[in-house]
Amino acid sequence: MAGQGFNEVYNLKGGIAAWQGLKAIGPAEVGMALVTGDETPAEIVVLAYGMEEGLQGFYVAMTSNVNDKEVAAMFTKLADIEDRHKEKLFKLYRELDPSVPDLETFEADIVGKVMEGGLTAEEFLEKNRLAMETLPDVLNMAMMIETQALDLYLRYSNKTKDEKTKGVLFEIAQEEKAHLAALGRVMDKNV
Amino acid sequence: MRWKQFLIPVRSMDTEEARAYIGEHKEGTFTLVDVRQPGEYEKARIPGAKLIPLPELSDRLAELDPEKPTLVY
Repeated sequence: MAGQGFNEVYNLKGGIAAWQGLKAIGPAEVGMALVTGDETPAEIVVLAYGMEEGLQGFYVAMTSNVNDKEVAAMFTKLADIEDRHKEKLFKLYRELDPSVPDLETFEADIVGKVMEGGLTAEEFLEKNRLAMETLPDVLNMAMMIETQALDLYLRYSNKTKDEKTKGVLFEIAQEEKAHLAALGRVMDKNV
Repeated sequence: MRWKQFLIPVRSMDTEEARAYIGEHKEGTFTLVDVRQPGEYEKARIPGAKLIPLPELSDRLAELDPEKPTLVY
């Protein structure tokens, strides 16, 4: 690569076996049916909003599904973070399409029901119910979901042809990364 | 002769350096490339890494932006 015009190439010492950061899993195609690669920036924002809303619904549903008060409070906190993500996405959408009068009108058009990471909330809950009983469990699970979401947004950016849409996806991915870093700090404090 | 390849050494990052790099740089300003086989990529990858198996790399370099710092594993 260095001989093919790439000016800055790094090799990860020890490869993935040595990697101690978060890891995403699953085939490259998972969740990709939702995008064609031809979406406009506004369409991508709508898609992301739907996913964030699906995930928020999942966190809200979990608050009444757990017995431990501390765990329930963490789910509420996670749902609140998704709310802020949604606010940011709506703001971004308004910048792209100022003709949308309000949030209600915007929400009437959203994709919905598909949570971040490409699974529906119900599917995910069913698969992972037993792994969400303690605070570390919940934080681990949330970090796993957000990691998958980050990976999915970046895979979307690979598939997207429009540079502006790519930019929006990078911006959303950056938000996810910041969210992950915040969860990591909560994890350090609580585990 | 591609003389440039002798002047641009590929540097290594250990996991801590790579984590710090990814954390400090905005998405879209660098590229992560996973050159392993799809089965390995599916089991675990750095989030956002683009899968280009090593045997395909030379034919698919055009999919990558040479202007962006690129971390390969």
